[in-house]
Amino acid sequence: MSEILQIESILNKDYESVNLVSFQEWVENIDKLSKLSVGVIIGPSDDVSLIKGHLDFIALIALDFNNFDDGRGYSQAYLLSKRWQFSGEIIGINAHLDQLQFMIRSGVTSYILLDSYIGLNEEDYANGFSICYQEAANNSGLQQKY
Amino acid sequence: MANSFNNLKKMYQYNAEDSNFLVERVDQFEKQLKRHLAGELDDAKFRSLRLRNGLYMELHAHMLRVAIPYGTLSSPQLRSLANVADKYDRGFGHFTTRQNIQFNWIELPEIANLLRDLSDEGLHAIQTSGKATRNITADPLSGLTEGEIEDARPYCELIRRWFNLHPEFSWLPGKFKIAINGAKLDETALRIHDLGLRLIRNSQGQLGFSVFVGGGLGAAAMIAAETASFIEVEDILSYLESTMRVYNLKGRRDHQKKLRIKFLVRELGAEEFSRLVDEDWQQTKNDSKLKLNLVELEQLKKDFSLPIKQIDLGSFEEKVDFNYSIWKKNNVRSHKINGFSIVNISLTKLGAAPGDATSEQMRILADLAEKYSVGELRTTKRQTIVFPYVRKDQIFNLWQSLEKYGLASPHQGTLAQIVACPGRDYCDLAKAVSIPIATRVQERFNDMKKLLDIGDLNINISGCENSCAHHHVADIGLLGMQKNGEEYYQITLAGETLHQTVIGKKLGPSVSGENIVDAVETVVNVYLEHRQNQERFTDVFKRIGITPFKEKVYE
Repeated sequence: MSEILQIESILNKDYESVNLVSFQEWVENIDKLSKLSVGVIIGPSDDVSLIKGHLDFIALIALDFNNFDDGRGYSQAYLLSKRWQFSGEIIGINAHLDQLQFMIRSGVTSYILLDSYIGLNEEDYANGFSICYQEAANNSGLQQKY
Repeated sequence: MANSFNNLKKMYQYNAEDSNFLVERVDQFEKQLKRHLAGELDDAKFRSLRLRNGLYMELHAHMLRVAIPYGTLSSPQLRSLANVADKYDRGFGHFTTRQNIQFNWIELPEIANLLRDLSDEGLHAIQTSGKATRNITADPLSGLTEGEIEDARPYCELIRRWFNLHPEFSWLPGKFKIAINGAKLDETALRIHDLGLRLIRNSQGQLGFSVFVGGGLGAAAMIAAETASFIEVEDILSYLESTMRVYNLKGRRDHQKKLRIKFLVRELGAEEFSRLVDEDWQQTKNDSKLKLNLVELEQLKKDFSLPIKQIDLGSFEEKVDFNYSIWKKNNVRSHKINGFSIVNISLTKLGAAPGDATSEQMRILADLAEKYSVGELRTTKRQTIVFPYVRKDQIFNLWQSLEKYGLASPHQGTLAQIVACPGRDYCDLAKAVSIPIATRVQERFNDMKKLLDIGDLNINISGCENSCAHHHVADIGLLGMQKNGEEYYQITLAGETLHQTVIGKKLGPSVSGENIVDAVETVVNVYLEHRQNQERFTDVFKRIGITPFKEKVYE
């Protein structure tokens, strides 16, 4: 999938389809949507702290990494996963192969690559290194050197 | 040669894990490069990736920027750089103002082999460019001067590691330059950095950092604001992370000229920025996993401890030689260890870009450093090379060797040692020439007696507002510009960073290229006319103000 607008629902890790709403929709309709167990799509410019108090009512979160040079998604992933302990899935959508290692270590729990990367070996890019030099949301598989 | 060097002590080196990491990084980049060359990775994404590996694309070739962490090099490392210059470039390297070295004629398909060659000596180009934490610079005289709080390099190393491919902060709004100083004088210019750290002791004698954020030169020159007056050593990583998190989430990404953190600090106000950082930091400052590793710090302090012990030279007699004594006066500084001196070596040549070195010069310097300075060299923001451990009774011999190879011009340390960017002769961005102006100023001031009388006065010349030559913080700064198709120079006076950080004041209307050398000479003459005792340029300027300079230059 290459366009964020094409996503209307998404599969979670149990392969159950979850309906998605935009961050804007969620914030404007919290009372209604929090009863429906939907997923929320968060773009780089969305102020993720606005949903901090409602995370228990969100089925999953889709962070949009489409803009290769916009690094806000990594901080959003860190805050959701590590600081606010969001227990649902954090899916990196419109993901880039060369940024998988950064996404996963920041707290993204699964991802959907952009179509242009189909056929390339994801393992190569998700686990490019044997050690890491800093604490992060997810350092599994890496020797920690700090 | 008999010496008192402790030959058992080796310079800090990366261990096998670190070296392996460098190789893994090269392997990864090689795969990306292959995909790019096969048309599978577009220009925009490859640009982002190659910059994070220090690789720039110029008009006709590629430029690679290699890090010289904390400005410290070993002789074998310098030889390895010389080999790269010969094997992959045209026999040159260019030492930059931020403790890096650049190679200008690199062929893209050879880049991986080049980086592998460098990794053999623990050298790399990771994050020397791109919107991430750049090479962290330190006082080039770290560990050498009296009154220093502590050697900054172990802290540089630990902070460098922490922000090496940091998952959260590798795609920041703009580049992020950090400098750390532990000495009395600020040789790092830390308050013109995105983030500057000053090692200090608080009233209880505890070691920590003052943190300064949002400095920078360019079209909007700003001095970094103090966001924290004292952060304990072990809390520095979490504090830096909070600073970067606020920047990453709130920094401007919508305007190409406002990407740096200084614009965010200015827009929010330093107080509000500090408050946001502090608010974030309260969530993490007690996280034990974010504490600086004090065991590792102690190990690094040992690794970076000085390889010399004080020696009693008895009654050695200094040689009498006119040129030697002039050179020595300008280029040799006192060392905190008895019996030793710090020697500064300039690469500046009349008419050439400052900081350029041939592979032959690099090998000569590597050999001389082994003979006279325990095989260690440092690089400075004035694009000079420092020999940190020269025995006082061997300075003359070193000078003779430097003379032989044309590396001991007595002009060093005087006004004639000008900092200039490549300018319009070499750079597409420049609005005016820099090096020919430097040459004309040097020709105007070619009287050694007058140069010695003037003393250490900095002239920096930038060919455009990007300010690569740091003209804002020189005694006399020249900024090249275009006016009706002709080259003009704006003059700024009395900028400084060594004792305090001051952005130079604009003198008045810009001066044509034809008249600029006259204007510089006039400024110097006004200084000499008003100077009392041994006053520095900036002190005279503070005392008499800008008017006497203005009146003479524009009369």
